[in-house]
Amino acid sequence: MKYLRFLLIIYFLQLSACDFASKDTNRDASVHQSTPIHFALSQAPLSLDPRVATDAASERVIRLIYQPLVDFDQNFKPTPKLADWQMVSATEYLVSLKSPRPLFHNQQPLNAEDVKATYDAILQLANSPLSAEYANIQKITVHDAEHLTFYLKQPDPYFAAKLIIGIMPKQLLEQQHDFARYPIGNGPLAFVKKNNKLVLRRVADGQIITLSEVKDPTVRVLKLLRGETDLLQGELPAELVKYLQTKPEVTVKTSPGANYSYLGLNMQDPMLSSLKVRQAIAHAIDRQALIDKVMVNHTRIAGAILPPEHYAGNHSLKAYDYNPQLAKRLLTEAGLSLPVKLIYKTSTDAQRVRIATILQAQMRPAGIELEIRSLDWGTFFEDVKQGNFQLFGLTWVGIKTPEIYTNVFASNHFPPNGFNRGRFSDATLDSLLEKEDWQAATDRIHEQLPYIPLWYEGQFAVSNKKITNYSPKPDGNWDDLATIRKYAH
Amino acid sequence: MKYTSYLILAFWLIAVLLGNVLQLNPNAIDLEVILQAPTAQHWFGADDLGRDILARVLSGVEVSFLVALIVTGVTMTIGVFVGLLAGFYGGRVDAVLMQITDIFLAFPGILLAIAFAAVLGPGLGNLIVALCLTGWVSYARLTRGQTLSLRHRQHVQAAESLGAGVPRLLFRHILPLLASILVVEATYSLASVMIAEASLSFLGLGIQAPDASWGAMLRDAVRYMLIAPHYVLIVGGCLMSLILAINLGGDYLRDALDVRKPD
Repeated sequence: MKYLRFLLIIYFLQLSACDFASKDTNRDASVHQSTPIHFALSQAPLSLDPRVATDAASERVIRLIYQPLVDFDQNFKPTPKLADWQMVSATEYLVSLKSPRPLFHNQQPLNAEDVKATYDAILQLANSPLSAEYANIQKITVHDAEHLTFYLKQPDPYFAAKLIIGIMPKQLLEQQHDFARYPIGNGPLAFVKKNNKLVLRRVADGQIITLSEVKDPTVRVLKLLRGETDLLQGELPAELVKYLQTKPEVTVKTSPGANYSYLGLNMQDPMLSSLKVRQAIAHAIDRQALIDKVMVNHTRIAGAILPPEHYAGNHSLKAYDYNPQLAKRLLTEAGLSLPVKLIYKTSTDAQRVRIATILQAQMRPAGIELEIRSLDWGTFFEDVKQGNFQLFGLTWVGIKTPEIYTNVFASNHFPPNGFNRGRFSDATLDSLLEKEDWQAATDRIHEQLPYIPLWYEGQFAVSNKKITNYSPKPDGNWDDLATIRKYAH
Repeated sequence: MKYTSYLILAFWLIAVLLGNVLQLNPNAIDLEVILQAPTAQHWFGADDLGRDILARVLSGVEVSFLVALIVTGVTMTIGVFVGLLAGFYGGRVDAVLMQITDIFLAFPGILLAIAFAAVLGPGLGNLIVALCLTGWVSYARLTRGQTLSLRHRQHVQAAESLGAGVPRLLFRHILPLLASILVVEATYSLASVMIAEASLSFLGLGIQAPDASWGAMLRDAVRYMLIAPHYVLIVGGCLMSLILAINLGGDYLRDALDVRKPD
């Protein structure tokens, strides 16, 4: 009996010890959770409603608050996220929701009705910039809580790659809930509040993450060095990134990017409609010097919109080398008298103007006198869309499907029916795009030069030493906020 | 201090001439020396495109002087004319002209200049127009006040009774007495116009790339303050020295022209 009593005492002591230990563990966890992770952005998200958001910051946060049916893998192939799909025919897609699924942040379950309500809402919303992209949906039929079918008006073999809109609760959609300011999804981060900063809470462990706008790059860097912010990503001059790499108190992670920078040409311009002139421009740019001197690490010369590692990428495209003499000869052969005067439009962004100024200097020995017109973003982009340009510089961000080549270069995709802003028309390319022969199509585009390819800009993230589990992604998304950790010491 | 300010002013005036004589190329890009600190080859270092900062400072000071002289000349002419008319005629003419002046004075000058520059668009010509549109009011106020008192001086009344016309009264009998005050005002105006030009260029509303302007250079330099502090210090120092020299010069000029001051 004595022995039994002794055992009981030991047992209760152990239990209480376990209890204390668990309290300690909780206290440690709460220390971590009560220490918010501060992320400084150059531009705050403008809207948190997946139906209307178009700016990069909003799209990156929306990916974390909501979850789509489909996402993309490392080779940019569509992969199931919330749902699997089956192409019954080119106009009929059966979608099956996976189980178990995370609940919405208001603790309601997500089902097929919510999916239908989300896509219906996009089609019904008058001011949604996505309406045109989903206009091909004829109807959506819900079979049960987990199955639904999308019926299309026209065959679309890439429709599954378009199922990337974050799903919203049907009940709140019907109540006209203000998702732009009070988003409710079922993603890894839940909205807490937004005042001068956006506050999010990680569903898995309650970790608070704040996103605040700090426009000036120098101030962002100083805030990081002083410990006022924990994390920065992108939007810094290359020199500042190199400077940060010398600082022992921060960690700089870089990775290759997939966002394609290019010069767009107006093919209806009498000069630029000549292939020799386009080739001359391609040979008048020293891309490698630009990359080495003013771009961040891991920036690489581009050949086509989709990078080589993409499943529709082209490994065989050879970069146009910098050869001002050849460029001059090509211009003369095109029957032009030197110097050739061209107008280059760009935004007022400091790095864009900097690159434009270098291009201007590089093209001068090739017999091209480049006049820079630096315009505010609204005016600049409107000019590009209207075809009111000779040359412009832009970047395609977050492109995942090879369908982009049709949208951008097919002769039946002039605005407003597509993004062929340079009004490029080539029967050979049209036929290749029709056949979806992406290798041959990208070869043809590289040869005909409706775009002058520049580079895929490298991605980088800078954090203080307390931060782990965060890396930059090729398209610059912030998905690792779902797993990021901050240690107290 | 007096002579120091004159020396600095003289230095910058010589720099303007020197910049033209040496035929420097402030827009020559050299990617190999981006943000390089001062060296024997680049005395003030190189900027974010590898351009020689010294050449750009000299080109920038030329622009500053050009803008300041044109704007001061134009605004003084307009302001003095408005002030003379208002002060001489009084009554409704004075009321109307001073109401217009008060409307312009109700806004901070630089804010109004920013608004005009934004509407007109960036560029040297539009920058000068924007500054001219806002700069004349101080001259108008000053001239009007002085004219009101000078109008009743005996020599003016004598000339009027002898049959002198209004232009003669204004430009032969009143304006010469305003000259000293206006010259002092003009020196202060030179400095404020230079600062306004730099401010508008800093905001991207003034001189456009690749042309050099101290304001635009400061804007670029601030971006690289942590990596190349020499850039912001040199450009900021140049701007400060010139403005200080002009303001101090104005002070000494005012003292020299002040008739109430004992010898």
